[in-house]
Amino acid sequence: MRLFARYGGDKPSKSDKKKKGTSNYAYAVTRVRAMKSKLLPRETYPRLLNMSIDEITRFIQESEYKNDVDELAMKYSGGDLAEHALNMNLALTYRKLLRITAGEPNYLVTAYLKRYDVWNVKTLLRGKLYNASVEEILESLVSGGELTYTLLSELAAMATYQEIIEALKESEYYPLLQEFDGTNLAYIENELDKMYYSGLFNAIGKPRSKDRKLFARFIKLEVDVKNLGTLFRLKKAGVEQLDEIMPLMIEGGLELKIEKLASLPFEQFVEDLRKTQYWDAISGVVGPDMDSLTAVESRLTRYYLESATTYSHVSPISIVPIMDYIIHKSNEANNLRIIFRGKEAGLDDTLIKDQLVVI
Amino acid sequence: MVGEEAIIGGPILDADGMKALGAALAITVTGLASAWAEKEIGTAAIGAMAENEGLFGKGLILTVIPETIVIFGLVVALLINSA
Repeated sequence: MRLFARYGGDKPSKSDKKKKGTSNYAYAVTRVRAMKSKLLPRETYPRLLNMSIDEITRFIQESEYKNDVDELAMKYSGGDLAEHALNMNLALTYRKLLRITAGEPNYLVTAYLKRYDVWNVKTLLRGKLYNASVEEILESLVSGGELTYTLLSELAAMATYQEIIEALKESEYYPLLQEFDGTNLAYIENELDKMYYSGLFNAIGKPRSKDRKLFARFIKLEVDVKNLGTLFRLKKAGVEQLDEIMPLMIEGGLELKIEKLASLPFEQFVEDLRKTQYWDAISGVVGPDMDSLTAVESRLTRYYLESATTYSHVSPISIVPIMDYIIHKSNEANNLRIIFRGKEAGLDDTLIKDQLVVI
Repeated sequence: MVGEEAIIGGPILDADGMKALGAALAITVTGLASAWAEKEIGTAAIGAMAENEGLFGKGLILTVIPETIVIFGLVVALLINSA
């Protein structure tokens, strides 16, 4: 029955989602690991940097993205083609993950992938607010979450953001979106992020088993990395008021004491970071006279990706390897996007290389 | 096999009965154990194969390795019966 339910596209009802008995970890994890082995190896990136945009599109066409590029080649060309193909591939990959998991992992992956719903809602609002064309908005949508691409394109075709918010009446974001009045986009975006993370922590519940604990740790690490990135930017911009910083922070981090860090001036802030686990990753590029945050951010992301892989070895048959794949996949799409968007804008190769997070 | 007097007056299980039960236990438990192990490995192998067909051979070999458990069970059952 489960087999038919899965291929029929019906998701198990909420009550049995949490039951471990119906989950298929062995199948899902090995399949995901095989999928991870198909990600682009690190040697590819220097080669890609030496190519022109058309060559890169061609390269992508010959890789795992073949179907997506072929399907979209009629409609788009050049950078847009690659962009759409990447987004489509990402969305299809995540849908596939939902299809091949059952029971507990399906429940957790669904909760995790809501980040794309949040991302899409943010993109739609931002796009409408700044009068972006429907094409431009569609370019940035990734239908990896519960909102399907058809629904998203309908939303993108609407004239104003009020209509979009009305159309999302049934969704869990509606109460928050009602507060949007066209001027407080930043506030709404932050609140959406916070809502996502509190929802995710809710879905994890109070972790009892070893793998749930690792999963919670993994999410907390992500929160820390996000907060740290925001803190670096704020400190660099000279923001030191606690009441300005705290609304931007996401709760539930692993190690960082946000309130303490937020109140420190830049030098002391860096000094305080020495005691954390993140210091080893960023020590090479952080200093009083640092001028660019790109290196810090890519190193933090790198640390986060590497930790995820380590966690996935600690608990091999669990949700963690699946999460590990999700973030590595999105990192690969990001890297490719950075390369061809950088090329398109005529950026220097070294500049593009600094932005890449190559594992 | 057992005489009528034994059924009426003797213990419910005599030595032969115990042996038969022991052999049955040996084969049942190991059979269940290898079935469970093969189910886990088999689904995993199918998962890997769905992505990469070249893994068929390796998957097949790994899937039947737990079969040794039930073979040991069979050996033990035979040993019990022949002792």
